Amino acid sequence: MSTILDRAVPSFLARDRIIAKPGFNRWLIPPAALAVHLCIGQVYATSVYKFSLTQSMDASSTTIGFVFSLAIVMLGLSSMTFGTWVDRNGPRAAMAAAASFWVVGLLVGALGVGTGQLWLLFLGYGVIGGIGLGIGYISPVSTLIKWFPDRPGLATGMAIMGFGGGALIASPLEGRLLSAFDGDFDPAAATSTAASAHAIALMFVVLALAYAVFMSFGVLTIRVPVDDWKPEGFDPSTLKQKSLVTTSSVSAANAIRTPQFWLLWVILFCNVSAGIGILEQAAPAIQDFFRDTAGGDSTVAAAAGAGFVGLLSIFNMGGRFVWSSTSDVIGRKGIYCVYLGVGLVLYALLATIGSSSTVVFVLLAAVIISFYGGGFATIPAYLRDLFGTYQVGAIHGRLLTAWSAAGVVGPLIVNGVLDSQGEPGTLTADAYRPALFIMVGLLAVGLVANLLVREVSSKYHEKPTEQRTPEGSNA
Amino acid sequence: MSARIALSWALVAVPLAYGLVETIRTASKLFTG
Repeated sequence: MSTILDRAVPSFLARDRIIAKPGFNRWLIPPAALAVHLCIGQVYATSVYKFSLTQSMDASSTTIGFVFSLAIVMLGLSSMTFGTWVDRNGPRAAMAAAASFWVVGLLVGALGVGTGQLWLLFLGYGVIGGIGLGIGYISPVSTLIKWFPDRPGLATGMAIMGFGGGALIASPLEGRLLSAFDGDFDPAAATSTAASAHAIALMFVVLALAYAVFMSFGVLTIRVPVDDWKPEGFDPSTLKQKSLVTTSSVSAANAIRTPQFWLLWVILFCNVSAGIGILEQAAPAIQDFFRDTAGGDSTVAAAAGAGFVGLLSIFNMGGRFVWSSTSDVIGRKGIYCVYLGVGLVLYALLATIGSSSTVVFVLLAAVIISFYGGGFATIPAYLRDLFGTYQVGAIHGRLLTAWSAAGVVGPLIVNGVLDSQGEPGTLTADAYRPALFIMVGLLAVGLVANLLVREVSSKYHEKPTEQRTPEGSNA
Repeated sequence: MSARIALSWALVAVPLAYGLVETIRTASKLFTG
């Protein structure tokens, strides 16, 4: 199958057509990567039109929510399936494929909304769009790591920050588009006024066209370095001096046979499950935490709840860049000890003293979410340290199945606990404690997994004659 | 090359700044709403 897919790549997208000429500036690569991630980050900006979609499609909130869960599941599955293809054919082909899937997915989804066909929305946004998400998410990662061998955390942090930033851009943009296409729609009161199906379909079409243009910029700008390229003044031998950092190469097929891969899988799964639990319930949680008695009024207004969600989005995005860059200084194992170790303390504090004041609650939640974002952004650099750059994109793709699993398990834990505690809108801080302590336990498991990470055994390393760039010859 | 780099970064920074400003505006309701 891989040969058929390889032959399907037009020559102008091929890896050997995008080898950078001498004098090319590597600082052109992060904007190219951001152009893709800023677009696919839209998948986390669904709250603006979710209610409208339930009304116009005459579907339950759970059914519509499943469309977006399906997209995330497809993200994990496609990044796992196409990871090796991405590494072999290079970032331009991968970005072009991601843009095609993502744009077609949005257009098919628009057709589904416009004609009232729910299955088309599932197929378009959930399946086709989800495949675009997976390929797009991993497409620039290995290229960035190769251009920034001296600062891989900074490089991947910049790109993956874009995924968080994409939601920040899409949310207000979607509100404005819906208002433009449906004069009765008020984005500030999204739960009381539903936009028409016509308006939602048009919004998807406009987003698809805008993303096609924006992602094309990334496709045209991206370049790969020649073999053995290194930044001026960078000495690769200094890498050997850092703990856990290898200069050897491990293939994707071998990587999944190592305990290190599965330890990192557990780490990502635990970190994401815990963070998603907070993110999913952010708006109702801040109101529930400041309700004195079950069923009583909260001292926090609904509008402030929306503000809290916005604040968390900023910390989610900022954490991706700040913490991932910090990992270049303190090491990947060290930074995950912070995410998981400090994180579990913060979760315990949230459960015990979180309801003492809104300032304490907001501060704790903001730092926790910054760790959640940091966990996403740092994992490619951790993989690079342990397995080398040879097939890091494909290994990253396989690891992202942990995200898919966490996307199901995290909300399941929180919703399951809260459902057993009472009706939504009547809960207090007490109702959240069991869920928060489960998250503490999850983070403790992740912390132990991180502490167990050691260097990959040399038996998994590619032999010197087998060490090559994924495409076979890059120079 | 410098102009190309500046233009490329502007292309991604401008929408990001728009999203950031809008989100900060929403987030301010946490303290005022």
